[in-house]
Amino acid sequence: MMQTVTLKIDGTPVRAAKGSSVLDAAIECGICIPHLCHVPFLKDTGACRICIVENVRNGGSSVTASCTLTAQEGMVIRTNTEKIQKLRRNIAELLVAQAPNSKAVQDVAVRCGVKEVRYPFRNDNCIQCGRCVRYCTEMWRANALGFVGRGKNRRVEFPFAMRPEFCKNCGSCTLYCPMSVTPCGGPMKRGEESLCGKCESQTVMTPGMIGACVRCDLGKGFQCTRHVL
Amino acid sequence: MRKLEHFEELENLRKKVVAQREKIRSTVIICGGSGCKATRCLSVIDAVKKEIVKQGLGHEVLLRTTGCHGFCEQGPLMVVEPGNFFYGHLTAADAQEIVSSTLKNGEVVDRLLYADPLTGKKIKTEAEIPFYSAQDRQLLKYSKLLDPCSIEDYIAVGGYKALVKTLTGIAPKTVIEEIKSSGLRGRGGGGFPTGRKWAEARSVREDEKYVVCNADEGDPGAYMDRCVLESNPHLVIEGMMIGAWAVGARQGYIYVRNEYPLAVQHTRLAVKKAREFGLLGENILGSPFSFDVDVARGGGAFVCGESTALMTSLEGKVGEPRPKDIHTVKEGLWNKPTVLNNVETWANVPSIIVNGSGWFASKGTRGSKGTKIFALTGQVKNTGLVEIAMGTTLHDIIFKIGGGPKNGKAIKAVQTGGPSGGCLPVSKFEIPVDFDTLYETGSIMGSGGMVVMDEGTCMVDVAKYFLKFLQDESCGKCVPCRVGVDRMLEIVTDIAEGRGRREQISLLQELAETVAETSLCGLGKTAPNPVLSTMRYFADEYAAHVDEKRCPAGVCKELIHYDILAEKCTGCGVCLRSCPYDAIKGEKKKAHAIEEPICRKCGICITECKYDAIAVG
Repeated sequence: MMQTVTLKIDGTPVRAAKGSSVLDAAIECGICIPHLCHVPFLKDTGACRICIVENVRNGGSSVTASCTLTAQEGMVIRTNTEKIQKLRRNIAELLVAQAPNSKAVQDVAVRCGVKEVRYPFRNDNCIQCGRCVRYCTEMWRANALGFVGRGKNRRVEFPFAMRPEFCKNCGSCTLYCPMSVTPCGGPMKRGEESLCGKCESQTVMTPGMIGACVRCDLGKGFQCTRHVL
Repeated sequence: MRKLEHFEELENLRKKVVAQREKIRSTVIICGGSGCKATRCLSVIDAVKKEIVKQGLGHEVLLRTTGCHGFCEQGPLMVVEPGNFFYGHLTAADAQEIVSSTLKNGEVVDRLLYADPLTGKKIKTEAEIPFYSAQDRQLLKYSKLLDPCSIEDYIAVGGYKALVKTLTGIAPKTVIEEIKSSGLRGRGGGGFPTGRKWAEARSVREDEKYVVCNADEGDPGAYMDRCVLESNPHLVIEGMMIGAWAVGARQGYIYVRNEYPLAVQHTRLAVKKAREFGLLGENILGSPFSFDVDVARGGGAFVCGESTALMTSLEGKVGEPRPKDIHTVKEGLWNKPTVLNNVETWANVPSIIVNGSGWFASKGTRGSKGTKIFALTGQVKNTGLVEIAMGTTLHDIIFKIGGGPKNGKAIKAVQTGGPSGGCLPVSKFEIPVDFDTLYETGSIMGSGGMVVMDEGTCMVDVAKYFLKFLQDESCGKCVPCRVGVDRMLEIVTDIAEGRGRREQISLLQELAETVAETSLCGLGKTAPNPVLSTMRYFADEYAAHVDEKRCPAGVCKELIHYDILAEKCTGCGVCLRSCPYDAIKGEKKKAHAIEEPICRKCGICITECKYDAIAVG
């Protein structure tokens, strides 16, 4: 029999397989924690920090990414407190200012409640979620992609900047890239970027149902776990 | 050298070495640390060596090249025993006089003595110099006593006594209890109780465990760990051996950054010597305990000083941090229980074992025990390494040991804890320096960097400097740190260059809090500290930059302009000739003028002008 642990997410007792992450446990039972770099069956790295939650323990709470947090017996998790909403909104705002030319990023920003972007737009091509790298490494064992550099200069690159022979041409890197789908209004030119915000009507996030996953269309753009499964 | 196979053999060796040293009449101790090497101490050492032979003192005088003494401002420096005479700012030409008068006749060379900057009085002995006398040197005292390349020197001063004491009669559990009751806390910055860390690692059931020494010190202006490793690597190794005995590890690693070549060299030599003497390896000193240490070199990434990134780097992967929801004492290096401690923490262990936890706990404050080394730098007279008991006030460190401001300008703030720490204003100088008090005031102890700033420092510029450093050193894995720090830098640069808007200050505050809460590792979580603390204590400076477009300290180039005061200018033409951009025009004997568009505000004319005729506005 499968070993399980029981934890409380937003007050709801949730049973999850032992060793699974809090994010997986939440999605499994229909609690929507917004996420971006998480791909089911791949190792989570906690890079995008969109899926942050509050882990309540010892009378206090700590903010941590739910994808890398292993579910443990008796854990108390809060996914939608005011503090988390604010932090998540700020991170989504950073992301959308960095890469507005992605439907996935724009959708996540809407889902996280970003109403305005207070930073100058940058129009980057990559948000370094690492989905391509992990898919290439873990699923296909091809190791044809990797991260190069540090800090601001970190980027996804082929080994020695040349497409290696062992690349299997599977195309998964583009398939799983959140940047490959442009916003509905088409590609934004440099200097004309804006917060799209058009799909707000599709979120069906009524005040009483905050945090409930309704399989909204927002997830399609970036293979939200619910749409992939 | 034959391996030592019993505890008694080590004792016999100690007696033998001490007996050999008795014949020596006097000892010349010259600092050979990195700081003094930069001021050419090697030529001094060579000259003194030659001079000793030349004057026929070779058999009775011992020349000892040691690690850093701490008073780097005076380098190259020398202490002559007996007599404890202290000579600073030496050159090779002084060797002849020192040997002929001090070593031969026991007379002091007056002109080389240290002069008190306040009174101008010459001070004869090292012990009387205020810089040293106000300190409590427990770890740094060794640097003078031994040659780091000689294991015999370390054994002669009582080295490996703690190890023998542990292996012959203290059970691992008792060692941990002893460390726990000593109140030792991690010296790397976090301040986690060391005893608790060891106990947790011990309680994990696993065959393989590791102990790791973190010597990847990267804070700008901090070099405590370098000094300890350079001047006494055996002390750290001994501490690690005791730790390994306590938690049940057989393998240890010293992760030292490659930018410290001397520390790498000395540590490697120490490990090699310890193996030769049978102090590392299988069945140490005939006991069932086996332990070995390897030295790993870091590639110069600041983030690799973070525990999980260090372990990833040790495993041979890119040094990026891992989520820390499971502590590294349970799953660390190669997913095995790992105890990671800072150089200073390990170095404190042997003396706790030898002198007892009560001795250690007698120093310091309620929450922080023992002594701590700080690297005192910036605008103070005496820069260098200082070791003080926890609880000493910032005021004492800066004014008693540091000797007060250097250039006559009033001291404005002190930055503690490196890029992860904060800036404390003068009004906070009365607080005792310990982990908890510093944290409450918005800074951290960090690894022990202490940069003193005077009125000529702009706090917005300081925040900008640290953000630039962190932006370069962030590994780039998680969004808040990579993008967030970059955006903070963007905002602070806007403010420093006169494009700042009121609402940007609140945005900066909000962003800083987000980065601190949500980042993956310790680097990101503490990255906003320089911004948050300067905004908290120097809000008026931010306001001046944003509202009045004015830099009160006259540092931010976009907000200042240079003017020549006509009534003071004599028309000597010095500034005109020294300006690299030809921005100054004027006729001889008539007041000059600066052409605003060409001036790059480099400040050369100000330093050149003898009449203080150039004003910054």
